[in-house]
Amino acid sequence: MSFQTDPHTSPGDFFELLEKSGYRWHARIDSAQMQSGVTVTHGTTVLAFHYKDGVIVAGDRRATAGNSIMYELCDKVIPIDDYTLMAIAGVPATAFEMARVLTHNFEYYRRSQMQVMSVEGKIRALSKLLKENVGMAMQGLGVVSPIFATYDIKSKKAAIHFYDMLGADFKISTHTATGSGSPTIRGILEHEDLWGEHPLVERSESDAVTLAIRLLQTAAQFDSATGKARPEDNIFPTIALVTEAGYRFLSDKDLAGLCESSLKRG
Amino acid sequence: MFEEPYRWMEAVSTRHSYVQEKLKMGQPVLSVPFNEGVLIMGFAPQPGKIFEVYDRIALGGVGHPADVERLRMTLLDMAHLEGFNRSAQDVTLARLLQFGIAPALKQNFEEIQRAPYIIRLLLAELDGDGHPHFFRVNYDGHWETFKSGTVISGSEKVMDEVQKKIQDTPFATFPLDKALEETCRLWDESRKQDEGEDDKDVPKTLKEAFEQWYLEAAVLSGKVERRAIYRMLTEEEIGKLKSSVG
Repeated sequence: MSFQTDPHTSPGDFFELLEKSGYRWHARIDSAQMQSGVTVTHGTTVLAFHYKDGVIVAGDRRATAGNSIMYELCDKVIPIDDYTLMAIAGVPATAFEMARVLTHNFEYYRRSQMQVMSVEGKIRALSKLLKENVGMAMQGLGVVSPIFATYDIKSKKAAIHFYDMLGADFKISTHTATGSGSPTIRGILEHEDLWGEHPLVERSESDAVTLAIRLLQTAAQFDSATGKARPEDNIFPTIALVTEAGYRFLSDKDLAGLCESSLKRG
Repeated sequence: MFEEPYRWMEAVSTRHSYVQEKLKMGQPVLSVPFNEGVLIMGFAPQPGKIFEVYDRIALGGVGHPADVERLRMTLLDMAHLEGFNRSAQDVTLARLLQFGIAPALKQNFEEIQRAPYIIRLLLAELDGDGHPHFFRVNYDGHWETFKSGTVISGSEKVMDEVQKKIQDTPFATFPLDKALEETCRLWDESRKQDEGEDDKDVPKTLKEAFEQWYLEAAVLSGKVERRAIYRMLTEEEIGKLKSSVG
């Protein structure tokens, strides 16, 4: 155990502490030893949009490897801290690892520096991880395309950020979606925002949840890697809300009723 | 100079006296159970006595602020690395102490060429089953565990007296406001035991303490749904306490 303080470190940076302890993100796979035809598990459709009280984040539950359905209960919307969620499309192993690093990073910063990390700092932290992951992504083993949703308690505003695989972040003022089912629903989201009864940002929680359920069901209709809601098997999409009160996931009990009413034909 | 065992023992003994003298003015930090979790509190001239270490672990310290800070950071590093590499459930105070800071503190204290840590720490944990655990760690790495709450202070006499009173009080049955009032009362009584009572900068009564110093208090709440159950008491809660005991 060392009690020495290194002036060249960034105080409160958990990733730096991890690296000091021997953890290496970018050197875990040697490209020379890669076997061709490795099939990795992928997650599929996630979306987020602003609504009246904050941000809604939703995702389907299916994980696939090639043509095979590997899992139907995958949670692709992951809590990072009390006010932050990350929705993932891509390789779950890498995405879950990123989420774990971020969770510890934000909590470690808050506890060690005795202040909450700024929203900009949080957004940058995910960029940094994606940048560290470029090697894995280029090898085709660790591509992650995340959506980051948070609520800034200082400015009292919710924020959605979308990232490319190199770590560039893009602030989203209306809506975003990622994963293989996203092309289908991005058009619908844009249409709803421009010509729907109300712009997305003016919609109530109930309207926002209904739309999210319908969007994921539509994505699943056209994309085999996106799982449909299957109320008969208690499989529902993941739906979470980020507001001034923090994040909140809808329970399966709530979703059972909401799926039934939302998916009823008009 | 230190090649003879006698000289080494003499040097260690001198270090005990040196640290104890330096710690003498350290004001008490108390931690007790209450009906929904664990309370930890203490008065200080400036904030920096009570801290969050991990999801279910809180720390209180007396001694040199720089030494408290170093040990706080060591505990934070160990807890977060363990929580990341294994699970938050594997981060327990007993492990952090027994395999972490206690041996390091002992080694540091007995390496007489190095400056000793001028600290006394109180650590509290509310485990996953809702059971509270209290630990007291000395500057030489010696640690003790308590079931019904504990106290640290610069003065051993104060610690012993307050410890007896904590054990005689059914804190675990009290709601938070009553537990707070009672710990404030014990803090007030501890002032009467304190040998450094004649120091003009140290408040002599609870009323003076509220006026001149900061009350730092935090809880580990078993009623919280979130992973991290530590929270500092709000100004409103402290204001209410002040009007009831002040």
